[in-house]
Amino acid sequence: MKSRLYSWEGLLLVTFLIIFAFNTITQPQFLTVSNQINMFQLSIEKLIVVLVMAFIIINAEIDLSVGSMMGLSACAFGWSFQHGLDPALAIVLCLAIGAAGGALNGFFVAYMGLPSLVVTLATLIGFRGLARVMVEDRGITNFPDWFDAIGQQGFIGPVPFALVCFVIMFAVAWIVLEHSGFGRKTYVIGSNRHVADFAGIHVRRHKLIIFTLAGVVSAFAGLLYAARVGAVRGDVANGFELDIITIVLLGGASIFGGSGTLVGTGLAILIVLNLRNGMSLHNVTGHLQTGVIGILLIASVLGPRLQWPRRLGAARQR
Amino acid sequence: MRNIGKITALAALLLSTAAIAHADTLTLEPGKEVNMVLLPKFLGILVFDQANEGAQEAHKELSNPGKLEFLGPTPENSVAGQIEIMTTATTQKQGAVMLSNNAGDQIAPAAKAAQDGGTKVVTWDSPIPSGEGESIFVAQVDFASIGVVMADMAHSILGGAGEMAVLSATPDASNQNAWIEAMKKALAADAKYKDIKLVDVVYGDDQAEVSYSRALALVDKYPNLGLIMSPTTVGIQAAAKAMQDEGLCDKIKVSGLGLPSEMVSYTLNGCAPEFALWDFRDLGYLTYYTAYGLASGQMKGEVGETFKAGRMGEYTIEADPGRANAKRILMGPFTVYNKSNVEAAAK
Repeated sequence: MKSRLYSWEGLLLVTFLIIFAFNTITQPQFLTVSNQINMFQLSIEKLIVVLVMAFIIINAEIDLSVGSMMGLSACAFGWSFQHGLDPALAIVLCLAIGAAGGALNGFFVAYMGLPSLVVTLATLIGFRGLARVMVEDRGITNFPDWFDAIGQQGFIGPVPFALVCFVIMFAVAWIVLEHSGFGRKTYVIGSNRHVADFAGIHVRRHKLIIFTLAGVVSAFAGLLYAARVGAVRGDVANGFELDIITIVLLGGASIFGGSGTLVGTGLAILIVLNLRNGMSLHNVTGHLQTGVIGILLIASVLGPRLQWPRRLGAARQR
Repeated sequence: MRNIGKITALAALLLSTAAIAHADTLTLEPGKEVNMVLLPKFLGILVFDQANEGAQEAHKELSNPGKLEFLGPTPENSVAGQIEIMTTATTQKQGAVMLSNNAGDQIAPAAKAAQDGGTKVVTWDSPIPSGEGESIFVAQVDFASIGVVMADMAHSILGGAGEMAVLSATPDASNQNAWIEAMKKALAADAKYKDIKLVDVVYGDDQAEVSYSRALALVDKYPNLGLIMSPTTVGIQAAAKAMQDEGLCDKIKVSGLGLPSEMVSYTLNGCAPEFALWDFRDLGYLTYYTAYGLASGQMKGEVGETFKAGRMGEYTIEADPGRANAKRILMGPFTVYNKSNVEAAAK
């Protein structure tokens, strides 16, 4: 088990280094500070949600509603700002909406026993509907300068606030997942829920906590998005969930739960970002870019499977 | 007294126009090296490909040794994709980005960053609503004049009297609503339209199948209907096909805004005898001239500046009446297509 993951991460590392080297050699602008920051900044909200999605998938669940929650949070901010609510209060309100929405997912999955695919597909539509009802396609802009500055200016030197948050959250997520009881429980529940039950783990409470966290983190990411682009519209973050799940799977997490690491997730983030940035700098955009990322995902699902027959016996014994 | 005021204002206006007209019309010097990006809402749409053809034509004509790239996102990823391409263009130090904006004001920070980095941002087809980060908007037509054009087509097709219904895109599409309002105003403004009755406005969501069935529903609901007016390229084609399939073209005609290549058969068989649109090749061509002028430093981009845009003639930068603090170049006018010119345009 361990060696398989290590080899997958090794493969990711080699892939990343090849892309990185290719970009560095072919594009003089690639290694500039501003391009490196832009590369992260353009996807930073997704990357933040990737961290919590890793917990969900390792826990053998899925959350399709994260993109809609980002949109709902951003639109709720815009709507309350438009209706004269103090922006600081509006931020608190949005995070509360995130917690409530996440808890709703968690309640139906953990306590009503419904499949997370179904529950979060429903809330994907529901949250998006609410966002569109609030803001429609009109667009709300002219947020306070301090709010725009959070998303558009450097926080530490040229490094923006969202990127600093991401680095801190990555470290926290790594410690929690790989060096805490909470993280171990996440793996155990994901590998075999019944074993976890017998071992006395509060499986339901654990799932509720993880889904609630996913809601809060998505709402936070939605606010960061609103600050970065300085405007919101009903379609904010539409379809982001697919990119987010793609990165987690590429990182080596099994869609059936129980496996995956944050190191792998981090490498997957670097691969996707560098690949996209490199293609953009080479003026490859649109369907071609989407196609290349799609091939990458197929490879990431097939890659571990190709080794499967040899490992099957070992996995069975586990 | 009021009249004198008006006359003075008019005279002043005439004088100032005259002064502008006599000011040097800028002829752009060809051969300057400027790299530019044409950024449509998304790839795979005919009108954007046509705009690209126009831009490529201008690119050759001005013998720009730089590169003109046609880069766009996929429809599902339009907003994030446009922001990404704008940001990458800034990193690449492109001379100008020509943007048909689909991201609303969300593109403004990226456009501002582009301007700060020395990349000009010229919008076409669809501007940045707040005007922030935008140098100039090249507008295809004056949105108010669309109402008059549609009213005139209705008048000529109906022979001055009859019932008409509108098949629009979605109820909250701001441009559609503005155009329908403009048509209602035009119909009310002139007595020659007094016998044309607008009986209904329905929405086909800019989807072919929905528009098709909405058009047929109109036929059932209004037995005396003579014309379906659809100010969207999807709606007009679906309505024309519906009338053709049901053999209703003798009784009910279709008109509105359509693409010659999609409408040519319906115009020739009489289902849609007249429709209008601006030429997207011209729009791309004019946008290129504007962006080239700005990025090569030959134009300042100030209100009142006049320049010569190759085969299309002279254009003047003016304040945008629809958006405060924004500037535009008005391409205009509409091209009205009928049997005599639709085949040539459809190629």
